[in-house]
Amino acid sequence: MASLKRSVDSDPLAANISNKIYVRSTKSGKVQKIVREVYLRQDIPCSSKLCQRCLVCAPKDASGKPTPFVLSDSPAGTKVFPQGHYLVPDTNAFLTAMDLFEQDSAFYDVIVLQIVLEELRNRSLPLYNRLVSLTKSEDKRFYVFFNEFRLETHVPRLEGETVNDRNDRAVRKAVAWYGEHLARIKEKDAPAIVMLSNDRDNLKKAKQEGINACSLADYVRQLKDGEKLLDMIPETQDQDQIKEKRPGDNLYPEYFTMSKMMTGVKNNLLHQGIFNVSPYNYLEGSIRVPAFPKALLVLGRENINRAVDGDLVVVEVLPKDQWKEPSIQVIEEDAITKNENPDAEESDDFVSEKERKALQEEVKRTHSKTTEGHAQPTAKVVGVIKRNWRQYVGHIDQSSVSQSAQQGRKQDSVFVIPMDKKIPKIRLRTRQVSELLGKRILVTIDAWDRSSRHPSGHFVRSLGELETKAAETEALLLEYDVQYRPFPKTVLDCLPKEGHDWKVPQSMEDPGWKDRQDLRDLLICSIDPIGCQDIDDALHSRPLPNGNFEVGVHIADVSHFVKPGNAMDAEASIRGTTVYLVDKRIDMLPMLLGTDLCSLKPYVERYAFSVVWEMTPDADVVGSRFTKSVIKSREAFSYEQAQLRVDDSSQQDDLTKSIRTLLALSKKLKQKRLDAGALSLSSPEVKVQMESETSDPIDVKTKVHLDTMSLVEEFMLLANTSVARRIYEAFPQTAILRRHGAPPKTNFDELANQLKVKRGLDLSVESSRALADSLDRCVDEKEPFFNTLVRIMATRCMMSAEYFCSGTQAYPEFRHYGLASEIYTHFTSPIRRYADLMAHRQLAAAIEYEAIHPSTRSRGKLEAVCKNINVRHRNAQLAGRASIAYYVGQALRGKATEEDGFVMKIFSNGFVVLVPRFGIESLIRLRDLAEVEPQAEFDAENYVLQTSGSREVKVELFQKVRVRVTDQKDETTGKRGVKMELVRTC
Amino acid sequence: MTSSQQVLLSPAELSYLHSSLSLTPPIRPDGRSPTQYRPLSAETGILPGTNGSARICFADGTEAIVGVKAEVEKTKRKWDDDAVYTENSHNDDEEQQQDGRGEASNGNGNSDWVELTVEIPGYRDDDPSTVFLAQMLSEALLADGGFIKKLRINRRFHWKLYLDILLISPPLSYPLPLLSLTTHLALLATRLPRLKSEGDEDPFFDDDWAAAPYLYSRNPTTKRIAERPPVTLLVMAVGGNIIFDPSKEELAVADVALAVSIGDATTSQRSQGEDDRMDVDSGNSGGRNLKLLSIRTVDPPSRLTPPGVANAANSAYGHAQVVNTGANQKMPEARQTESEAVEGVWKPPRGGAKAIVMGALVQKVLVRGGVADEVLDALEGVDTS
Repeated sequence: MASLKRSVDSDPLAANISNKIYVRSTKSGKVQKIVREVYLRQDIPCSSKLCQRCLVCAPKDASGKPTPFVLSDSPAGTKVFPQGHYLVPDTNAFLTAMDLFEQDSAFYDVIVLQIVLEELRNRSLPLYNRLVSLTKSEDKRFYVFFNEFRLETHVPRLEGETVNDRNDRAVRKAVAWYGEHLARIKEKDAPAIVMLSNDRDNLKKAKQEGINACSLADYVRQLKDGEKLLDMIPETQDQDQIKEKRPGDNLYPEYFTMSKMMTGVKNNLLHQGIFNVSPYNYLEGSIRVPAFPKALLVLGRENINRAVDGDLVVVEVLPKDQWKEPSIQVIEEDAITKNENPDAEESDDFVSEKERKALQEEVKRTHSKTTEGHAQPTAKVVGVIKRNWRQYVGHIDQSSVSQSAQQGRKQDSVFVIPMDKKIPKIRLRTRQVSELLGKRILVTIDAWDRSSRHPSGHFVRSLGELETKAAETEALLLEYDVQYRPFPKTVLDCLPKEGHDWKVPQSMEDPGWKDRQDLRDLLICSIDPIGCQDIDDALHSRPLPNGNFEVGVHIADVSHFVKPGNAMDAEASIRGTTVYLVDKRIDMLPMLLGTDLCSLKPYVERYAFSVVWEMTPDADVVGSRFTKSVIKSREAFSYEQAQLRVDDSSQQDDLTKSIRTLLALSKKLKQKRLDAGALSLSSPEVKVQMESETSDPIDVKTKVHLDTMSLVEEFMLLANTSVARRIYEAFPQTAILRRHGAPPKTNFDELANQLKVKRGLDLSVESSRALADSLDRCVDEKEPFFNTLVRIMATRCMMSAEYFCSGTQAYPEFRHYGLASEIYTHFTSPIRRYADLMAHRQLAAAIEYEAIHPSTRSRGKLEAVCKNINVRHRNAQLAGRASIAYYVGQALRGKATEEDGFVMKIFSNGFVVLVPRFGIESLIRLRDLAEVEPQAEFDAENYVLQTSGSREVKVELFQKVRVRVTDQKDETTGKRGVKMELVRTC
Repeated sequence: MTSSQQVLLSPAELSYLHSSLSLTPPIRPDGRSPTQYRPLSAETGILPGTNGSARICFADGTEAIVGVKAEVEKTKRKWDDDAVYTENSHNDDEEQQQDGRGEASNGNGNSDWVELTVEIPGYRDDDPSTVFLAQMLSEALLADGGFIKKLRINRRFHWKLYLDILLISPPLSYPLPLLSLTTHLALLATRLPRLKSEGDEDPFFDDDWAAAPYLYSRNPTTKRIAERPPVTLLVMAVGGNIIFDPSKEELAVADVALAVSIGDATTSQRSQGEDDRMDVDSGNSGGRNLKLLSIRTVDPPSRLTPPGVANAANSAYGHAQVVNTGANQKMPEARQTESEAVEGVWKPPRGGAKAIVMGALVQKVLVRGGVADEVLDALEGVDTS
């Protein structure tokens, strides 16, 4: 019987065929054996410019030209390899030190083996993406060599060999092959092929086989200026040695296995969610899980178990006797762990004495409680599904630096305090302590071992001196993941060729005029903040013969310039929104569009997308239509100018009259909205005034509200609502809408109780209407700001609004709680928000102006877009606020002022004061009150903190206090911040 | 197909065959001894996409391949579904639950943990004979409790095996022995992905196929297979003789034909106690412990063969002496069958097999160091790694 198996003897080509067998587990739980035949070939080029032979088999493009080779013909040399060298890193090298490969100073001419690339993809997708973008960059000269398909470098797996060993062997084989291959070709010295690996076994075998191989650290030392780069090699490589430490030293409980967690989550015994750290207490986290309406608390280092803010974790609920209340104490990491020594592995005392003391307070409080009902369910983290580690901005904790380290250049451990208070401090090993002190630096977390109290990380780069504008701004942008790099060329190529000379075509025959209405004769004007360059919207109104009014809102026609699917669209969808900082604007679209071609500038013709209503004098909408149009704005007003013009009764021209009409209508619209239950919420808003020349902050002003602001706002809301209805009607499954969920009632529990106890006020939260009414009743005769304070606090109990795709929610869920509107979207700011651009495209399709692009119709795509812009939107807000806070601090620099403040939150060892004048809030600790920390009695039921001893004050919630505001540079942390001191209570 | 196609032999030929098989020792048409199997060649691992596969070629030209595919399936549970895995129950109660409830689940749902299909060229897959073959083969597998236990992953999941049994030559003889042996080899070569998760978690497997263990585990040092899947042997009795692995023609004159499934009882039997070894001749130390798993009588085609006519009754020989009654004239055959057996005249067997014959057949199969042992030894020689 002839065998059916493929045999080597019978088939002359058998040597060219290999196979790969593995087990694939699918998401649905299927387990399959997969067999892949691998056809080996010899025409995969080495891609070295030195090599002539491979040119023959290089892949050719359509015109028959071979693709250019990647690796340089004169690669850089090192001390050990003066003739030049190509690098072949193994998977581990990329896993541990991707930052190194992204350096500009070294790491050129790298051969990325296919096996390494594939392994990297399995291990870490983000790192894989970074490597892929490196291979695409032309100047780094990274070449992906398909070693698995080249006959000479293919390595069949030996019997009993582990996958890792086999892959290591494949890497060595490829290195050896490259060496031979290049040696045969050149008459002069061929470059050395150097394998980079941190695996000692692999290095040893390489040495035996006579291959050049280096560990990362050894290699970096050979480089010029290598000392600096050494810091970027993460600490984990030393783990091999450290690992042999006593095994009993683990400080943290072990994580569950992935399958155990998944089973638990499926059966609802464990819960999965995003871990959030409390901003006031680094030892307290919370996690929202779908199974419970209220978040679960995670208290203490051991229960948090190495979770970092933002990680996707799995938790297990603790038994009821361990349920606790959320803390009433401020626990700050810098303060409590200030004097820790980063070198010592403080294993004997894992939960430090001070932390323990802080927890004791908690216990005391829970025990003294008569009512048990307040305790909240707690949980402990049993595993991390996905780390959300990113690069963190921080600075070195001065107190963690030993004296010797400041001089020598030996490697030293220091702590880095991240800017984000929710991130624990990171242990960093560096040789450049003295250089990095007092600088903003970027670090990443590499690992958090069970045996280590703090996560360990490595240095990425320095942003510059603390408190320099450039460093702080970049830090801010990095921290909020804002894409601030200049637009790449591919994006700029999408701009109109005419550049700034682009004009609306004169001839009505031009395709640009197709289906466009000519509205150039209307008296249109725009009203925006002072100095606004990206004018999204303009308005007009005119009386109609029947006594009604025609009102038009005209929005910049961005979708005319940004076509779906091109590079500019892709870039905009990633950026999601324009970010406004105090001194800087990070645009979503290139300047040319944002501030010129799309911007509805006065006196020039521009394309617009218009929403035109017919309204009765009572502001009831009789009819509405949508059209693409061409407009010519008559004037660009600032809010102030418009207000002056309206108030000046001598102005009786048509334009002013039309603004007056708009104003009158807007007031009626607003009233209707409020009647429907729209909330008027509040957040402390201030404006930083800049010195016009140096753009240094000189003063802080609270924003003044003008009628003209709500004029614009009302019509924008109306336009957004009208458009939302229209696109939902046209695309019930895929319309891009914006919703604001009704907040769970429990969110208001705390605030309602505070109001009841302190002021005897009732907060009813049954509906937005009830809430709006009860907020209106929250007034204090003597203190006009009290109402705003309550509104600010109420705002913080709300959910955040979000974009969504209409198919993902049921119609009742579309509701916008804050605006009390059934349906809502964003349409009016396409220059600065990507959602609006999508709404424009959908509306254009709905009115049959153009065919809908597939990407604007695919629900999966839209959901991904929504998810991204929700995150970007939130980050942009946070970045903006952080920027204001920083500049407020700078404006106060060297000044001390006394201001009125209000107590917003009260802890057993401090309280938070909001100063409306500067829109800042800050914590005043008990120990700040007097030289010797006064004793304090905290009445949690009544929100009263009574101090005694060195200083006697009684602080209550909502109380008006007088504080001295100064800026202060914290010596230990090197951070400048606003500091408040209590002058007296009022 | 009743055991085999209709045999095109005349009554005289049948009679000749029958009598030569009834001799002591019998003389078989192909010269084999009564206990001798047809020579075969075998190989495993012919289908790379399967979890296990095998192919056997008999010397008479019949050939079969078997592929085994495995899928993870959720175990249906009859009792309260709330009793899902918890940390505590996992640690404390597992033993108890496994003994109590676990057995129940093994008893209930597991006959559908194996799906076995047989394909014979020229026959529909719902043909009664094909179904019967499949039934006989799966019956043997299921009767061996140890086999089903191997498919259990944990309390919530099990492997479902799909056995595809294909005869790829025309059915020149009754294919049962061939199919059974091929299935046996395929199961020996079957590997299942290595389980990485623990306890009653959702199963999670190693993606390295080289690490996948065999369904029938090997001794790590000797590479010997401790336990083996069952084998179904075809045995027939002619006169006083017991003949193994009958050919098509031999089957056509069988008095009784039996399909006997046996299992290797080395490990599992021992734990169950000594009494179960009653079938085994304990005096005979060579060979292995065998256990009987199932017996099926196969309806031999001999029952449908036309009877021969004795010269005495044949009018063509001029014996018209009998004055026939009307009834006898209408049913001459009926009369003849009732007549005594005549030497050299073929008479199809009638009636059931005698208990004593059945007993002898089974005894012969199970005897230590007998045919079954030989067959298993021969199969052991096939490289299944």
